[in-house]
Amino acid sequence: MSVEQQIRDYILENYLFTDDQSALENEDSFLEKGILDSTGILEVIYFIEEEMEIKVEDEEMIPDNLDSVNNIVAFIKRKTEAA
Amino acid sequence: MENTLVKLLHDSVQKFPEKNAIIHADRNLSYINLWKKSCGVAQFLTRQGLTSGDRISLLIENSIEYVIAYYAVLMAGGAVVGLNTAAKSRDLINWIQHSESHFLFTSSTHPELDDVLKGLDTNICQLVFLDPCSLSEEFTCWDDIEPCDAIPDNKISDPANQLASIIYTSGTTGKPKGVMLSHTNLYENTISILTYLKLNETDSIVNVLPFYYSYGNSVLHIHIAVGGTLILENSLLYPHKVVALMSETKATGFSGVPSTFNLLLNRIKFSDFDLSSLRYMTQAGGHMVPSYVKKIKNELPEIKFVIMYGQTEASARLSYLPAEDIEVKLGSIGRAIPGVELEVMDESLNPVAPNVTGEIYARGKNIMMGYWKDPDTTQSVLHDNWLKTGDLAYKDEDNYLYIVGRSSEMIKSGAHRISPKDIEEVILEYNSVEEASVVGVEDKLLGQVIKAVIVIKPEHEVTKMELLRYCKANLANYKIPKFIEFVDEIPKTASGKVRRFMLQN
Repeated sequence: MSVEQQIRDYILENYLFTDDQSALENEDSFLEKGILDSTGILEVIYFIEEEMEIKVEDEEMIPDNLDSVNNIVAFIKRKTEAA
Repeated sequence: MENTLVKLLHDSVQKFPEKNAIIHADRNLSYINLWKKSCGVAQFLTRQGLTSGDRISLLIENSIEYVIAYYAVLMAGGAVVGLNTAAKSRDLINWIQHSESHFLFTSSTHPELDDVLKGLDTNICQLVFLDPCSLSEEFTCWDDIEPCDAIPDNKISDPANQLASIIYTSGTTGKPKGVMLSHTNLYENTISILTYLKLNETDSIVNVLPFYYSYGNSVLHIHIAVGGTLILENSLLYPHKVVALMSETKATGFSGVPSTFNLLLNRIKFSDFDLSSLRYMTQAGGHMVPSYVKKIKNELPEIKFVIMYGQTEASARLSYLPAEDIEVKLGSIGRAIPGVELEVMDESLNPVAPNVTGEIYARGKNIMMGYWKDPDTTQSVLHDNWLKTGDLAYKDEDNYLYIVGRSSEMIKSGAHRISPKDIEEVILEYNSVEEASVVGVEDKLLGQVIKAVIVIKPEHEVTKMELLRYCKANLANYKIPKFIEFVDEIPKTASGKVRRFMLQN
């Protein structure tokens, strides 16, 4: 399964409580759409760290890296390429 | 306007007209402009026929407009009903109708607005939109209200008995709990907090607390009272951003609930930031574990960390533990703030001896007028001017208070106080649900999270996912259960009362 699909499935199941893929656009802002709150974003980070085996540094916890499926996918790609 | 929040604002405007009262992203608002726009909105409300104590609902995120609208309503002699912006339409309509609000100030882009409008009679509750809007000519737009210099005359004639605000602490249909605060309640609590926090015009705070709760509300008023500056940051989603903002703006203060500090401590290394301007932090809104308090003291040794305790029914604050006492009285919520008496009493309302547990009762000019349209509940918590807090505690020999439990069922999750009934009511409306009980269970980060224990009707089937999806559609995000457990029977006493403690495992 692609990274994108893994992230999508995790958000859909745990925060939108559905498997309907149309409920989430990859560019949807988690903050603006009220999809995640501050604990939700921590859970997403733990998910990324465990599933993708990368470490999210404190200073990387910014919207550009984490505020949408697209942002997360791009962030993970940058991290894995740099490793 | 003697001894009111409006007087305190007026004093700051006189002393520091050009100073920034509010900074929000790339916008700012000086004291003189806060005054002028508030006067303009107050005059508008008066022209529209607003009379003393009339309620006005604000459905507005923390913003420049929220602050202007709040003070404008007070200037016009009205009462602010600050609505939880995270709430769903069913709660919002319930609160607006229950408070019999004459106006609703909101943004045309609020996600629940369409549903709210379906449930409201806009002939009774007029709408004022804060953003440029073209929805309809029948609604008033914020930008069309001209600023001016003078407040309407003599609108606050009896501050001690005149309603200034209603803060709803639950949303149960038909019987939401609205705490009524007078002008005197809010003024006295503001002055008292300032006595021990010792703020002045050089103080500024990065504020993450919602103004519609009493803690955020008090943070707003204490800064406006001294001519300080509030820098608004409405999301804690990215804690790194919040601390960076504190550093960048040279903020002198920061206030949070336990989960705010847990979040920061888990993800932030304070030493990575220049926080040399930061003078103090305050924590209220529930018990913070001593190890976290110690961690903050270790990471930020120069900061005064003040622990506070209070209730919406007390306008906000009841006690504080001064920074210098934290190490010797770790775990305590301190002693009564100036102007407040706190007594630990037994069931016969007799004070108990030191180190004996009883219930905290509070008395002072900050104690609420009562619950809106609910004399029975008011009577159950107000006795001879004493407020029955519902918190169980003991005092040590030095009169420092230690909370040991709570006699009420309210769930404390993050910054939120949640009535289990609000959630049970929604879940019970789901067709397949026979019975539902909701409790708070311990959580390391949030203090408590919500667990729903549910009995499904015979021959019905429902999955957790279906129920959670239904909850998401009908409950604010912070009210969605973290755990759902299906059971055959909910444990009850012989009289039919749910044994909630048995559900918490």
